[in-house]
Amino acid sequence: MTLRLHDITVTLGRGDSRTTALRALTATFRPGVLTALVGPSGSGKSTLLAVAGALLRPDEGQVLLGDTDLAALTDRERARARRTRIGYMFQSGNLITGLTAEEQLLAAASLADRTPRAVRARARDLLADVGLAHRLRHRPDQLSGGERQRVALARALLTEPELLLVDEPTAAVDRTRADDLTALVARTTHQHGCVTVVATHDPVVVGAADSTIDMRDHTAAPTA
Amino acid sequence: MFLALLELKAARGRFLLMGSVVVLVAALVGIVSGFTTGLGDDTVSALRALPATHIAFAAGSDSDQFARGLIDERTVDGWRREAGVTATPLGVALTRGTTDRHVEVDLAAFGVEPGAFTDPGADEGKPLAANAPQGIVVSRQLVGDGVRIGDTLAVDRLGIRLKVVGTTGRSSYGHVPAAYVTADAWRRIRFTTPGTDTRPDDLPRQYSAMALKLPAGFDGKTLAGADRRHHTATVPLRDAFAAAPGYKGERLTMTSIQTFLFLIAPLVVGAFFAVWTVQRTPELALLRAMGASRRRLLGHTLAQAAVVVLAGTAVGAALASAVGLFVGEQVPFSLPAATLATTMAAVALVGLAGSAFTLRRVTTVDPMIMLGAAR
Repeated sequence: MTLRLHDITVTLGRGDSRTTALRALTATFRPGVLTALVGPSGSGKSTLLAVAGALLRPDEGQVLLGDTDLAALTDRERARARRTRIGYMFQSGNLITGLTAEEQLLAAASLADRTPRAVRARARDLLADVGLAHRLRHRPDQLSGGERQRVALARALLTEPELLLVDEPTAAVDRTRADDLTALVARTTHQHGCVTVVATHDPVVVGAADSTIDMRDHTAAPTA
Repeated sequence: MFLALLELKAARGRFLLMGSVVVLVAALVGIVSGFTTGLGDDTVSALRALPATHIAFAAGSDSDQFARGLIDERTVDGWRREAGVTATPLGVALTRGTTDRHVEVDLAAFGVEPGAFTDPGADEGKPLAANAPQGIVVSRQLVGDGVRIGDTLAVDRLGIRLKVVGTTGRSSYGHVPAAYVTADAWRRIRFTTPGTDTRPDDLPRQYSAMALKLPAGFDGKTLAGADRRHHTATVPLRDAFAAAPGYKGERLTMTSIQTFLFLIAPLVVGAFFAVWTVQRTPELALLRAMGASRRRLLGHTLAQAAVVVLAGTAVGAALASAVGLFVGEQVPFSLPAATLATTMAAVALVGLAGSAFTLRRVTTVDPMIMLGAAR
């Protein structure tokens, strides 16, 4: 499924503090393609992820995931879309305190009304795919920053999302782990054929991306 | 529910701590309830056991009427003439006695007419009999104190000697075990002046009150008219408990303690869940971002609260029951299953109500805080 953002405008805040976060942004993201969103802080990268991920409703424009306009859905429908069609990997705070790596995935499955028994094998396979087969029983405080991000990636893939949204994946990990993680996200995108959008400041991530969108002046300028 | 249980397991230390607080609150409420019922029984169980619908006191006194008021036989006869009414005199007096085996006891002497509906009969031995006016039937607590059938009980300072002819169930009045004597014997106990030798016929033919069985159609207006005619103040049996010494004060004290506990319980539970919710706001935001609906998060939070509150209450109930078994009959403690169940249901309810204070915050968490744009 292709993700098309058409003429998206978002304003945030109220009254005097009201600012434009995205202005008339139009962009297309294709399946199996890793797209990097680059640009200075405050340029609208995270806002774009929020709009694409049905976390934020734009003031104007369409967010078409396949034929579905996410911007036109009700709150309940958008929540359903998030748990069944979209996977997230946030910059930090991805994991629930106290749950093991395996339980993080089972918890996500329970949100999508899948029983732990039905998804346990797939959860273990996904954790093995991201190199954490030996860390199934480890809690977040027993995992490194890179491992926590890998758990989040495995969890995001559990529901076989059409859209994978990644926010600054390498910001909280060292260079070696950042490189590994970048390669993993790229490989995952190509293997799973999902639309992947990564907001990043990291040149290595940009280098690994199939496409880049430069966010300037709250709108998109495709460069590759 | 799966996620709620996972979180419970992951944060079991915190939930155990909270559960312990619920256990202690529930146990405390249960114990106070046991003492409330026990003290109430100790004060009025002899009255509660009367198969009367109403008690008629002499008009004019508003408190401690069993000790203050007197009803004469003419009044009793007047009430007996009311259509459908069954009336019998009732004497109540606190006194002391010593058996011929030197067992000293306090007792609440209830004067009843042998064979009347207020006569408790006897579980063992013989009941009171009109032709044996010196007989006394003692309650089980007095048996526990050492009084036996066949003993002679001398009422202290009065020289009145009564023969223990039978025993009956547990009953007491004003924290003193009850014993049942004939109305004539009661008048001697009540009206004899120590050191004098008053003949029974010279004693006033008066009693503390009158036990009534009113027919179904005896409405308030009819009752008021009868009270005016006979100069009495008639109240339902349950309202007559307030005439027992100390009953109102005890009830007020114990009920106040219970009320405060019921106010404290939701605040304690609510405070815990409020702190818990604030601490896990980022995780709630994560769950919202992952597609958890508000309804699911509500159910999730309520399920956790229910597990903690219900389990804590159940353990608290067991603890209160254990305390009841431990103290046995040494103190006035009574916690019947129905009372325990009702009390614990109330504790669970207010506990859950406390957790509900936090629900709004759970539903208003913004998933956007997961993204850099909002950090």
